[in-house]
Amino acid sequence: MKSVLAILALAAPCGAQNVADVVKQGEQVFAKTCATGYCHGVKGTSSGAPRLAGRGFDQAYIATVVRSGVPDTGMASFATRLSRPELIAVVAYVATLNGITNPTLGALEAEPTARALTGEAARGADLFKEAVRGFGRCSTCHEVAGFGIPVAAPIAKIPASVAALKAQMTPNVKTAAMDGESMPALVLSESKQGPVFYDLTSAPPVQRNALPGAAKFTNGSEWRHASAIAAYNDAELSAILAYLRAVIKP
Amino acid sequence: MRFSLILLTLSSALAQDAGATHADWPHYGGTQFSWRYSALDQINTANVKSLTPAWIFQTGDYAENLQATPIVVDGVMYLITARARVFALDAATGGEIWRYNYPEVPRNIPGFIGSRGLAVGDGKVFFGTKDNYMVALDQKSGRQLWKVNIDDARQCGCNITAAPLVVKDKVIVGGTGGDGAHRGYITAFSTKTGRLAWRWYVIPGPGEKGHETWKGDSWKFGGGAPWLTGSYDPSLNLLYWGTGNAAADFYDAERVPAGADKSKDVNLYTASVVALDPETGKLRWHHQEVPDDQWDYDSAYEVLLMDREIRGRLRQVLVHMNKSGLTSVLDRVTGEFLGAFSVPELRTWIAGITEDGKLVGRNEPQLGKTTTICPSAAGAKSWNSMAYSPRTGFLYVPINELCNDITPNNRVAEEGKNYMNGEFPVKLPAGRATYSHVDAWDPVTGKRAWTLPYKYVLLASMLATAGDLVFTGNPEGEFFAMDAKTGNRLWSYQTGAGHRGAAVSYAVNGRQFIATATGWHSSVVGAAAAALFPDQDWRLGSTLVVFALPEASR
Repeated sequence: MKSVLAILALAAPCGAQNVADVVKQGEQVFAKTCATGYCHGVKGTSSGAPRLAGRGFDQAYIATVVRSGVPDTGMASFATRLSRPELIAVVAYVATLNGITNPTLGALEAEPTARALTGEAARGADLFKEAVRGFGRCSTCHEVAGFGIPVAAPIAKIPASVAALKAQMTPNVKTAAMDGESMPALVLSESKQGPVFYDLTSAPPVQRNALPGAAKFTNGSEWRHASAIAAYNDAELSAILAYLRAVIKP
Repeated sequence: MRFSLILLTLSSALAQDAGATHADWPHYGGTQFSWRYSALDQINTANVKSLTPAWIFQTGDYAENLQATPIVVDGVMYLITARARVFALDAATGGEIWRYNYPEVPRNIPGFIGSRGLAVGDGKVFFGTKDNYMVALDQKSGRQLWKVNIDDARQCGCNITAAPLVVKDKVIVGGTGGDGAHRGYITAFSTKTGRLAWRWYVIPGPGEKGHETWKGDSWKFGGGAPWLTGSYDPSLNLLYWGTGNAAADFYDAERVPAGADKSKDVNLYTASVVALDPETGKLRWHHQEVPDDQWDYDSAYEVLLMDREIRGRLRQVLVHMNKSGLTSVLDRVTGEFLGAFSVPELRTWIAGITEDGKLVGRNEPQLGKTTTICPSAAGAKSWNSMAYSPRTGFLYVPINELCNDITPNNRVAEEGKNYMNGEFPVKLPAGRATYSHVDAWDPVTGKRAWTLPYKYVLLASMLATAGDLVFTGNPEGEFFAMDAKTGNRLWSYQTGAGHRGAAVSYAVNGRQFIATATGWHSSVVGAAAAALFPDQDWRLGSTLVVFALPEASR
């Protein structure tokens, strides 16, 4: 509590905080809060929970996850567990682990909304989450710029073309055998409590919590990303790629 | 096996036999006929004075009030709190069997915290969440089995506060969002796998019948969210649901086509009762109660299914009240309009209704002007359910006499954001000493049989029993029983916190219980109502209080 007050006291008279100091503070918060136990490890190198260093995360994404947590994983919301200065500091620190050398200290404030987009990217932003498409829209499975359901992992690499998008391989989708049927499955975790996975048989994906041993997984599946995006035409997919390029920084 | 035999018997029986609950309270509305009526009569007008608390359950979730209707099956009570903490309790003692805590929902998810109930069926417990998931738990253990997202709450501005309805192998749920720029829908999932079975949009899309009742692109954000729980008739295999108001709520220029005839079918299927095929979600028929709603008179409320003799002929009917207090009686096979009556004492929004159901003398709010309208958008009745007793033939309804000053505006729709387009401060009407009443109405004659006035507001559901008792609670914390035939107040108990939820009745090992949720506070109507009585301090809480006759006296 004392260190938090110290930061506040420092920040107030200066108007702008010293980025290096805040990052250093973030490293301390990280070490005692995030690197512990079976979690993210020293400098985000992982000791059980996902590695956080060198993942290409942008600051808005980091802020969202720290603030909101990741449903149904060990990643809790830290919105009330850490003070505001601690949250700002830890987000800034994790940003530096992802190659952002000069993180924004106000990143926590900004709700991750789509930035002002123009032309094709703006059209793509609408198409990505267009409500009239029901469960046939990208946002049924992807969260980008604060919209959509994070079924898939954050988009880290944007396909170079519509053809590449359609040919997108999904080796992480397996085939689950459960209750006498087989289904394409995106596995979230496998623990003593039993596996947790998304059943991708039809949209929207259903998160299933199986009893230990109740589901058997084999590599590969019949599921194809091309089918999931079949409701979009090529021009629409091209606009969506323009949108992703505009908002997802490599 | 025994269960399926009972179902077969019921399917050929009249609603008179299928509408009452017995030892269990299996569904949100009691049975799926939504009477909130128990056939138990151990507690009755003669002995109700001896009613005493049997057990109390503190949920510990005091963030909001307890609004849920408990479900009781085979001596186990299932209860959900505002923040989706789910409990299985021994219904005789209150002992905890299991508990499940839904993860805390991120604060950037819009919407109100609250849950009006869960559903039990197919060996599972189902509920919706603030972040818009449908979740299934194992009924025996409380272990999570599956969950599926219904829509991105951050985009649609919608979520689930209503109890789902289980029909055969599907779990069906409506959502909120009707006061925002959103296109409402009902969604059905497989109880077994959570996979999507169907979705019915309240507002027809391009090429669908009814789409022509919308101007331009207004259908995309036209509201209509069916935010409460429907009913189901197994012998007709029809699902009934009420739909929400059109959006923008108070300003219609962007949604009503030029030259539309406002006497019928404008902005379909908002402010309507609809009958759907539960297998496919296809619309069978509709009856719109408020064409071109400009008063925020949701028709999302409960649908009561009953069989009554009307003009000399026994009819299978449904009875449905919307926020205006206008109550429709329809043939539930065909949707034929059989009659309607208006319940509140103050009514300025229309002059009346014709014999064929057309609204007469519409008092429409005008852009740039302020119009006083009664009843208010808080509702002549709020979302809390009425009850129906087949012994008296009366509906038991909590009615509030409030008005509001509506000043419309013409803001542009922004997806998922508030799209009421009007200010509507709720106010107390002049010249009254009481602002609410419990009424008994005969739906066949449209006549009020009795009324019991109350000083403040009544925002808890009603329970009727075969002991000829009617129960409800008030914001001051009193839970009270009335004589179903006369309205005489026979008993009351100070539960210590205001009432904003529901009461149910059930039996375990031959002992009848009456259970009520307690705890004032609401983000919307409760807060508006409380503001009208600033000298009052209605207490918050989240506690279930369960009553029975003393062991010796029964």
